[in-house]
Amino acid sequence: MAKLKSVLGYSVAALGIPIMIAAVLGIRLFLNPNAFISATGLEHSANWTGGEVVQTIEHGTYQTDVHRPVFDALIGEHKKGFVQVAWRPPEALPARIDEEIDADADGRADFRIELETATKQASLTPYSPNVIELQGVYDLEETLAVRVRLKNPRQ
Amino acid sequence: MTAQALTREGTPRMAIWKALLLTLPIVPFAAAALANDLMSGEAQLIEIIPSLLIWILLTVFFFRMLVTGKTHRYRSALFILLAFAVPLYLIPQLFELYGTNMLTPEMTYTAKARFCPMTMGMVILPAVLKGVVIFPGAIVEGIGWFFLWIGASLVIGRGWCSWGCIFGGWDEFFSRLRKKPVVKHVDRKWRFLPFAVLLAIVLLSAITFHPIYCEWLCPFKVVSEFEAPTSLATTVALVIFPLTFFGLVVALPLLTKKRIQCGLFCPFGALQSFFNKINIFELRIDLDKCSQCKRCFRECPTFSLDEGSLVSGKALMSCTRCGQCVDACPKGAMSYHIKGTRIGISPNAARLLFLYPAYILFCGFGANVIADALWRVLRLITTGSMI
Amino acid sequence: MHGFLLGLANGTTCLAFCAPVLVPFLLAEGENVRQNLLTLLKFLGGRLGGYMLFGLLAWATGSLLSRAANYEGLVIGAAYVGLSVLLLVAVLRRKAPAPDACALKSAQDKLGRWPALLPVGMGLLAGLKTCPPVLLAFTDAASIGTLSGSLLLFLTFFLGTSLYFLPMSLLGAFARLPDLRIVGKFAALIVALYYLVSGILLFAGGVQL
Repeated sequence: MAKLKSVLGYSVAALGIPIMIAAVLGIRLFLNPNAFISATGLEHSANWTGGEVVQTIEHGTYQTDVHRPVFDALIGEHKKGFVQVAWRPPEALPARIDEEIDADADGRADFRIELETATKQASLTPYSPNVIELQGVYDLEETLAVRVRLKNPRQ
Repeated sequence: MTAQALTREGTPRMAIWKALLLTLPIVPFAAAALANDLMSGEAQLIEIIPSLLIWILLTVFFFRMLVTGKTHRYRSALFILLAFAVPLYLIPQLFELYGTNMLTPEMTYTAKARFCPMTMGMVILPAVLKGVVIFPGAIVEGIGWFFLWIGASLVIGRGWCSWGCIFGGWDEFFSRLRKKPVVKHVDRKWRFLPFAVLLAIVLLSAITFHPIYCEWLCPFKVVSEFEAPTSLATTVALVIFPLTFFGLVVALPLLTKKRIQCGLFCPFGALQSFFNKINIFELRIDLDKCSQCKRCFRECPTFSLDEGSLVSGKALMSCTRCGQCVDACPKGAMSYHIKGTRIGISPNAARLLFLYPAYILFCGFGANVIADALWRVLRLITTGSMI
Repeated sequence: MHGFLLGLANGTTCLAFCAPVLVPFLLAEGENVRQNLLTLLKFLGGRLGGYMLFGLLAWATGSLLSRAANYEGLVIGAAYVGLSVLLLVAVLRRKAPAPDACALKSAQDKLGRWPALLPVGMGLLAGLKTCPPVLLAFTDAASIGTLSGSLLLFLTFFLGTSLYFLPMSLLGAFARLPDLRIVGKFAALIVALYYLVSGILLFAGGVQL
């Protein structure tokens, strides 16, 4: 029994070497991370991505992407969150954007954004009591975006 | 007498020819220092020279570990070198890409933060339960770190903290500066703080969907990237980071000659401790040889040996396999050991079977980081700029 | 019935938001399962007190109190700070003070005389701070119109959510281990510091509004 345990011990210890090699080199040579991500469905938290685009409004040379309101939590929803509104492409945006946004897709505007695209200064006029404040203006890679903090109407 | 003669401290040496032979398998892994140069195919001499130097350094150090029987002395030097190299490697890269090492909101919203293995404990629960990654870094990079972390943790357990961690060398450096400690006694209960930090940040990160440790507590933001102070919260955090760095990484290690951040705070280390329970390697005391001098207690940098160890013959689950106690034991009673095997029989075999995967881990990403950092320094000297 | 079903539907959220406070606290107390259940019931009693307060306010105001511009900052921020203070007291107090007067001179021993209030207070403040389903119930209660109806809705809502908390008493099976008690105390300290800083930041933000 002692000998068997000893043999097993040394075998497992020796196995550590190829396992470590696989761990260090595997991601570069063997594993396709994108396939793994697709298979598992892993995605960034909407806190970072802003959530999926649920509404696109065409304005001729540019378009407005309204993302879904984000109240994501591990269990249930947070009572406060935000909605991201983005305009694209940045090079085709007018000097001033003045737009009313229906964040919750109920057919009524929830707030109005006035945005100076050159200076990235924005002001918010809330129409709905669920609108808290303008969180900020963000120059993202392919869009110019604002985030507006909201209260969760379901909470 | 065999070729494996005992040193004054009782650590088995190895004959030179044997050590050379056993070093050969490490040579291709140490060559990872050259990886980027080889892949680009356009490397200039100024880029190849530091890579070659690091390749030679890593190979020689492994050889010396075998010949002298000393683990800690050489591991520590490389570990500290890696920690110093990381900011020299990372920060110029960030400036080249984004012009700053401060994470603006735009960078977090487009997942440009650099993934770090210390995020694993926080991201796992939301990733498993909801399929979302709460850290704003490239998921591909995160997947790479995840598999490296899992594989390494299964093989060497909390050995990650002394052979793989990209920041632990800072703690180790300051703990080795003084000859003698100013504060000699640290209460046993502080050993449980890392587990409490782990519990708190896992719960709070799961609730808030934010990486709480990264956003509020990590002392190593000082030597890497950090959130730009665009709000009251991020400004407060920017005050906390240097405080934790100075306190846990500089001052307390200086005063105690212990790795305080690693041993008494780091939640990732606490997570790694659980892997020690299933890991095949451990540090054991041969109670027949032990003279109860307790030198191993004094030497252990992470409080992983206590009175109970002298009874059980085992280091605690927080042991980082740094080898300091093995090198220090005057009777050769401490050794690397493989669970299930007899204690004291072939300690060199157990040590070798541990050293290989540990060194492969270190070379896997450390070699390239150190080589690149050296190149940045050479570039600074020759051109006046690191970027 | 509506309140109870609302509580059942949202109880996991309540538990999730209270867990960072409850788990470290119950571990730190180091009591057995039965004692943990008693502590838990005191905590829930505090929550009930908070909910009854909401029920009263819902009837009195007829609208969500949280819609007031600075409610989140001032009241919730203060609740966070209060919660963190209670957690700190719970962790730092000595649990069994010596009977003679000299021992009660130390603050730790004096705090040890008030164990019953701690979980009650924590439950009250936890109920005020971050339980989103409370506001859901608030909306419903505000529309009822009568005080008894409002209070009844919150009582039944409380019962529905509390079912999810009862298994937490099983932490007592682990908390007897002295090492886990120490971990629980440290974790409670960290969570307390987190809520203290968050509360101060919220409070500062509330004042600015």
